[in-house]
Amino acid sequence: MVLSRSWQVVGHTVILLLCLAVLMPMAIVVATSFKPPNEVFRLQPIPADPTLRNYQEVFADRAFLIFLWNSAGTTVLRVGGQIFFAVLTAYAFARWRFPGHNLIFAAVLGAMMIPHQLTMIPIYILVAELNWFDTWQALIVPNLAMPFAVFLLRQHFLSFPRELFDAAEMDGAGPWTALWRVVLPNLKPALAAITIVLFIDCWNEYFWPLLVTETEASQTIQIGIRRYLEEDFADFGALMAGVTLASLPALAVFFMLQRRVMETFVGSGIKG
Amino acid sequence: MTVAHAPGSLVSPARRSRRGWWARTASDPRFAPWLYLAPMLLLLGVFTYWPFVHTFYLSLTEWNLNPDQPIEFAGIDNYDRLVGNTLFQAASYNTAIYIAASIPLKVLLPIPFAVFIWSLGRAGNLYRTIVFLPTLISFVVVSVVFLWLLNPLGGLIPSFFQQVFGWRIGNVLKDTSTAIWVILLLSTWKVIGFNILIYLAGLVSINRTYVEAMRMDGARDWTVFRRLIWPLLTPTTFFVLIYTVIFTIQQVFTPIDILTEGGPDSTTTNLFYMVYQYTFITFDVGLGAAGTVVLFLFLLAITLLKVRVLDRRVNYQQ
Repeated sequence: MVLSRSWQVVGHTVILLLCLAVLMPMAIVVATSFKPPNEVFRLQPIPADPTLRNYQEVFADRAFLIFLWNSAGTTVLRVGGQIFFAVLTAYAFARWRFPGHNLIFAAVLGAMMIPHQLTMIPIYILVAELNWFDTWQALIVPNLAMPFAVFLLRQHFLSFPRELFDAAEMDGAGPWTALWRVVLPNLKPALAAITIVLFIDCWNEYFWPLLVTETEASQTIQIGIRRYLEEDFADFGALMAGVTLASLPALAVFFMLQRRVMETFVGSGIKG
Repeated sequence: MTVAHAPGSLVSPARRSRRGWWARTASDPRFAPWLYLAPMLLLLGVFTYWPFVHTFYLSLTEWNLNPDQPIEFAGIDNYDRLVGNTLFQAASYNTAIYIAASIPLKVLLPIPFAVFIWSLGRAGNLYRTIVFLPTLISFVVVSVVFLWLLNPLGGLIPSFFQQVFGWRIGNVLKDTSTAIWVILLLSTWKVIGFNILIYLAGLVSINRTYVEAMRMDGARDWTVFRRLIWPLLTPTTFFVLIYTVIFTIQQVFTPIDILTEGGPDSTTTNLFYMVYQYTFITFDVGLGAAGTVVLFLFLLAITLLKVRVLDRRVNYQQ
């Protein structure tokens, strides 16, 4: 559809303003991260005397590296677990009909309708009773079930040609071997996109780590950034460098598979 | 046919018997699905369904999160206290404002952007990617950055208005009339690109030949939008509406916690943040659980509305 000339001018102008509103704060943050302390509060956007000092400071801070390590470790383990359990579940639903099939499928999808804030108090108490407070387990285990991933993966499994299952079984492969050797290698793009969405969701999470982390034993980068604020942190150049570094992993994985990730995001109901 | 093994498996019984008990069970269609399902069912039972039900029980008790302290049964006392509590009243009122303001900002505003990007075809991809970027950045980062930008002492936004227009901007986050709007604008900034993407997914299903046909009949842009695009986009609009209402409640938790902590004077807290305040700041578990139940009833009402709307849509298509 081609709009008339006047609507095109209006459209481009307004959307460029929106893009500006989106990109400006990001540009200011990145520019500030290269400014020396005396320039941080100046309006001039480009640093007059660009420096890497802020980044050196951030990397010299042991706590910051520990926050990054906690975020990276818990995110990888949690997303790995989420994908693993979602694959098993989706495979069971796609491969077999069994008594209670529809009821159990409804129970799995129904869990999507129960948002985290309705279950947090008992889970918090459970975590405390298990003595998991301020550990990696507390961040990982309660979040391993991802019904939306089950839903999306099942769609992909159902579209998988049944002949290939049968061929695999003809060759003596059980369902387990068929899953890992035949099905998953053919679904790599879909798996990658779901993994990236889960990664971004987990990396950016704030609420749950806020409840169950206490020290550097488990505090993630998002909690760490907040902690700098609480400590009356005045070195804004370094803070902006830290914020930039904390945002890079999510942006990087997104740009690896941009188009597919956007489609998966739409299907996920996860909004940053 | 002499082979009497389970359907769906083409492995011969002779071959099967050579495998171990575990391998046989794991490929027997009577048991195999349950082995694959077990971990997920266990996880959902322990971390979704049990806590969900347990919250109702906790809402009838009194406890302060101290393990040495017994949990006492209190009946509906918590609900009584909740209704009379000023924080609950403020949170309910603010939740209504968050939702009412989110409809024009997050539900309607993305539509013209999405339609414009859609009209550009492939050329709109760059716009689409740029407006999507805020979805990828954590709300902690967004909040911290804007806290710094809005700082009345030398923050870039107040300095900009001071130097360019000569306006004096005080601390908008400490002002009871502006704080909630700062949070609303930030949450719009964060989610608008995502909602544009959902609308684009809805627009893709509109057959472009209809548009061409209307054009042939001399329809102008606005008429095409009013008579064709808007009606066909209605299901997507309802979808975005329901999700925005449900989602706004959780989404604004992070900016509330980092920018205002529910203040000033409880003007930015919402039902979710209130539950957090009751449970983890004043350690009143019973009151927090009662607040959670009220929040659940609210979300349930919206979900039922969604079911009704979707039903109507199905009827409409028939």
